[in-house]
Amino acid sequence: MAEKRPPRAMGPGNEEFWQGCARGELLIQKCGNCGHRPWPVVQTCEQCGSDKLAFEKVSGNGKLASWCTFERPYYGDLMPVPYDTILVELDEGPWFISNPSGFANTDAELGMPVKVTFLDCEDSHGEFRLPVFERA
Amino acid sequence: MSDAGMTPMPPSLREYSRRASIVGVGETDYHKDYQAERKRAEGYEPPTVDDLCKLAFDRAMADAGLKPGDIDALAMHYTFGGPDPDEMASYLGITPEKAWVNGHIFAGPLPNIVGRIMSGEVKTVAMIFGIGNRSAGRQFGGNTYGAGMAGPSSYYYFHPWGWSSQAAHWAMMAQRYFAKFGKREEDLGHVPMVVRQHASTNDNAIMQKPFTIDEYMASRYIVRPLHLYDICLVNDGAVCLIVTAADRARDMVKVPVDVAGWSESYITQDKFKVMVDERLRPQIQSAGNEALAMAGLSLDDIGQFEGYDVASIHLVNQLEGFGFTPDGTGIDFCIDGQMTLGGRIPTNIAGGNMSDNYMQGWGQVPEIVRQLRGEAGSRQIAGLNASLSAMTQTDCVHPVIYTRGD
Ligand SMILES: [Zn+2]
Repeated sequence: MAEKRPPRAMGPGNEEFWQGCARGELLIQKCGNCGHRPWPVVQTCEQCGSDKLAFEKVSGNGKLASWCTFERPYYGDLMPVPYDTILVELDEGPWFISNPSGFANTDAELGMPVKVTFLDCEDSHGEFRLPVFERA
Repeated sequence: MSDAGMTPMPPSLREYSRRASIVGVGETDYHKDYQAERKRAEGYEPPTVDDLCKLAFDRAMADAGLKPGDIDALAMHYTFGGPDPDEMASYLGITPEKAWVNGHIFAGPLPNIVGRIMSGEVKTVAMIFGIGNRSAGRQFGGNTYGAGMAGPSSYYYFHPWGWSSQAAHWAMMAQRYFAKFGKREEDLGHVPMVVRQHASTNDNAIMQKPFTIDEYMASRYIVRPLHLYDICLVNDGAVCLIVTAADRARDMVKVPVDVAGWSESYITQDKFKVMVDERLRPQIQSAGNEALAMAGLSLDDIGQFEGYDVASIHLVNQLEGFGFTPDGTGIDFCIDGQMTLGGRIPTNIAGGNMSDNYMQGWGQVPEIVRQLRGEAGSRQIAGLNASLSAMTQTDCVHPVIYTRGD
């Protein structure tokens, strides 16, 4: 059953990102001018200002860079506390906020290898698949 | 940038140094107002932003020994809105030639006013910051702002993962710091504990009761690994600074406090990496060095630091970033007594944002003025000549250096 989640950011670029997730692909923009990979979605490259940005599938592999656990219910019943969030350093460069899957922050270690997996979710925009990370 | 609308600053040039001075300061009754707001006695109405601004203004004017006719410009600063500046002027009983909204947080407003004084646009300015966030029930995080506002570097982007609070930024930094440098929660706890000890000497501080490391560890988490005590307060209040040209300031009753240096630096890309891994070190270093060069000072000349302790770990980041102690040693520096009276750099000596008040960077300027004048009583730093403030957010830093003007 799809897990209810707070709403995604939509709009230009974001639809493409979420369509990738629906196919089980983690897409990150890449600048056609300087090669920089920004995250989250931007309209112009944060490094060189170019708008030649195209989504590219990344490996989905990375290392655990940090983590924290929410203890206050910022989202009411939508995200019952406590819940874990993580920061993943993707092999391709970007640092990606996510949730752990199959492990808890109490087991987390700095630099632990992780890989992307997709969780069936639903928000006010409809059903979607959320990229989360499990131990590699 | 996560915080749009920073006040533009003149460049960090030597010829702008010590050309304008703070000659009066006023602040509101943080402690009393916070207590009243908590108790919410029958019939209690929290003070409005207008009332708060007027109280801070009246106190600053009395402090400066000035008359209403001496003020020719009124610069208002609001984070969550406030009265029209012209209406505010008449409420304050002044008839300035110019009244306008000059920004919000303490990221640029003071250098901006120095620039206007130097250009002759204004002479003697009342700068007022007023905020009514506590009584408005504002909670920094969650769905207070909709996801529709989500921008590239905004944390509202991360709603679907439940990652949305200012505190979560600091929690991510702290967790990585712990893992990288072999520290624990009970080590970091010394930072808010020392800042609270500082606040215990300040009658107007919101939180004055010292706590122990055991009490810190027993306190609830906001975002693990950060406890309640690691996060700044949220309160209503106002701050007023009266600023005039340095030569005019020499004729006034109090020792003038000169604005000697400033700078700014932003994270422009890879925000999460720079924020969580580098903890803004490159930004803090470059802005700090530029402000010092503008003031013609070295770090050794700085005798007081008022850092932006929006979270305990961020005060550590700033102590390390400015170079008071090497990378990875800020917590030990604190435990060793180096950020308190008698140590290398008395830091947030009146209680900072975690215990005194949270006025978005403005709240620590009055303590710098008191210290540089020698009016700080039991917590006076001996022989002080230069102080540093820093408004340091998740993605930018705005240091200002102040010197005694006599
Ligand atoms: Zn580029």
